[in-house]
Amino acid sequence: MELKRRSLLAAIGAGTAAAALSACGTGTSTAGSADGPAEGEITLLTPIYEGADGKTLLEKEILGGFRKKYPDVKVNVDYTTYDQLNEKITTGLAGGLLPDVLMMGVGWIPPFAAKKAIAELPEKFATAHDYEKRVLEPSRYDGKLYALPVVLDTRIVVYRKDHFAEAGIKKTPANWAELRAVAKQLTKDGRIGFDPFSINLRQCWETFLFANGGQLFSEDGKKVLFTDARGVEALQFFKDLIKDGSAVYAKKTDTGAPTNVQTGKASMMMTTSALWRQVGEQTPDLIKDDKLGAFILANRKPAMLQGGTLVTQSASSKHPAAARALVEYLATPESILGAAKQRGSVPGLKDLSDSSYVKENKFVDLSLQSMGHACSEGGTAAWMEIREKIKPTLEPAIVGNQSAKDAIAELGRLAEAAIGRM
Amino acid sequence: MGATSVSKARPAPPSAPAGRTVSKRRTGRAPTGPGRRRQRAGMLMVAPALLHASLWIGLPVVASVVLAFTKYDVLTAPQFVGLDNFRDMLGDAVFRKSIVNTVVYTLFTVPFGMMLGLLVALALHTGLKARGIFRTAVFIPQVTATVAIALVWLWIYNPGNGLLNTLLSFLGIQGPAWLSSTSWAMPSVILVGIWQGIGMKMLIYLAALQSLPKELYEAASVDGASKVRQFFSITLPLLKPATFFVLITSMISAFQSFDQIYILTDGGPANSTTMMTFEIYKSAFREFRIGYASAQSLVLFVLLMGFTLVNRRIMGGTRGHN
Repeated sequence: MELKRRSLLAAIGAGTAAAALSACGTGTSTAGSADGPAEGEITLLTPIYEGADGKTLLEKEILGGFRKKYPDVKVNVDYTTYDQLNEKITTGLAGGLLPDVLMMGVGWIPPFAAKKAIAELPEKFATAHDYEKRVLEPSRYDGKLYALPVVLDTRIVVYRKDHFAEAGIKKTPANWAELRAVAKQLTKDGRIGFDPFSINLRQCWETFLFANGGQLFSEDGKKVLFTDARGVEALQFFKDLIKDGSAVYAKKTDTGAPTNVQTGKASMMMTTSALWRQVGEQTPDLIKDDKLGAFILANRKPAMLQGGTLVTQSASSKHPAAARALVEYLATPESILGAAKQRGSVPGLKDLSDSSYVKENKFVDLSLQSMGHACSEGGTAAWMEIREKIKPTLEPAIVGNQSAKDAIAELGRLAEAAIGRM
Repeated sequence: MGATSVSKARPAPPSAPAGRTVSKRRTGRAPTGPGRRRQRAGMLMVAPALLHASLWIGLPVVASVVLAFTKYDVLTAPQFVGLDNFRDMLGDAVFRKSIVNTVVYTLFTVPFGMMLGLLVALALHTGLKARGIFRTAVFIPQVTATVAIALVWLWIYNPGNGLLNTLLSFLGIQGPAWLSSTSWAMPSVILVGIWQGIGMKMLIYLAALQSLPKELYEAASVDGASKVRQFFSITLPLLKPATFFVLITSMISAFQSFDQIYILTDGGPANSTTMMTFEIYKSAFREFRIGYASAQSLVLFVLLMGFTLVNRRIMGGTRGHN
């Protein structure tokens, strides 16, 4: 009797495990055809269109227009933040409830396309509008189109013209040696010359890596390339700035608060193109008095990190035609301009480069003019894992005693292991 | 009374009350008659809870154990990889660091939190004025969402215009960047953990204190024992079951700390505040390594089980004095 009870428990355990594992399916089977009529109820997962303004823009203006064009499609919106987007997608995939249309960051397409979680889009979408040359690169995997850009967020250097004038500095730094010297010169009375740390350390280091002529990965995304001298020098530059006293890791701008360059606590800072809008709301006098300027980081070459938000379609959508229609609609110039205005982002279409929005926003204008120097993060199917390792692996070199060389080597090992697991 | 009667009052090994059916395992006989009916009724009553536990606790636990031996990224079906995840864990310096951080966090938050909880409970038990308000104030952090608490502490710790550094500046001290410094981040997080946990510990100790027999204290007073002597010779020994309970639940809670790390430091700077649960979360939801996260969870479970058993052996469990 005792043996039978144990056998029964073992069978229940095994059955439970089998049931659990069988539930861990891929959930990527597509029902219906993308070429059929656009109809049905679909869900959109978005980390942008934040706040009441964003919600109004999306649900009334953008989706209002979509409903007129596709009256048989009902769109439910699931709002999230970039911090929680991963969790939403993971739980959606695990539960087989991945939203039909998803908005993702730059670098996210290869990992999801490689695993067939997102659907390929028709190539004609790439030529439907006049995209800036580099804008579509993060939307592709293995040469195929999987997403369309909605908004771009670039990383540029913003500086205080009044601080420069006061110090007699007449031109912006053309390379790191000049940048370091200028930062040192501008550091005084509790003010730091340069604040590179108020943006994410990962994206900051990447921008410096690209400006130093480096790359993250090989073309096929299978080889790590950032472990050479260019990657080490990029990290070492931060250490040098800290050593000079021109940058302080702890003096970061608090989320939502006026940035260090706005408050005058820093003379230069790495920031995003969206700062112009924030300045207009928080410290409009800086714009009125023409106290802010911007330039593209350069060392061996000029480089501007191009982040942003892309829209893509789930491979498991039960209404693929409706999902595809929404993807296409969210990437039209009208939708893009609305989203860009609301976030202070860069619209990646040449059609919009002469719009009043672009001309009035100096940082967006600079970003569009500099698209030839745009570089993007990602480029490997293992990016979702690697991107999480960058900041905590590089940080010990900045706040601790680890050398830049050791930190980069450690990051290289982690990245190679992640790629090896793919 | 006193120590002799206390030691005599240790509970005897559990035995079946007269007239009740004892289990088959113990007697070798199956229950019969009213005993069987009672057993069936009991089984029927626990069935819904058992079903619920099997489905929503048992299934995920078994799945988690099985997934620990697989490579699973949510996007593709799990592949059996044997002990690879555990081997990877041995080479994962950040996870090792998270274990050390978790132990350090536990070693500080649990004893200090217990001491403060007991002190507050004693103060309330001995007739503090406005103790209702005081009790509520101490308990509020326990029932407030950690996210809200963490946001308040984020402001307190703000190096520029935070409360702490503003107060320190009045004393002519320039406070550090509490959450951005590798030296100060962990103590800052520990302080939040201690502060947040006092309420529950206080409540359990207060309930235990209120159930202590007054006669023992009266007898001790007659014998000339001071208040301090009474505390160490009567109160503390009699609080042993409560102390064991508080210790175990606090330890588990400390090992599972997540929210404050997520909001306050995101595990940084330089992994100085990352914890096991935070690493598990990162592996699963940020890196899509569900199999690896399951293996990490298994290690956390084994560690917790080990600590609990050691504590049980040292303290003798929840069995206490009558």
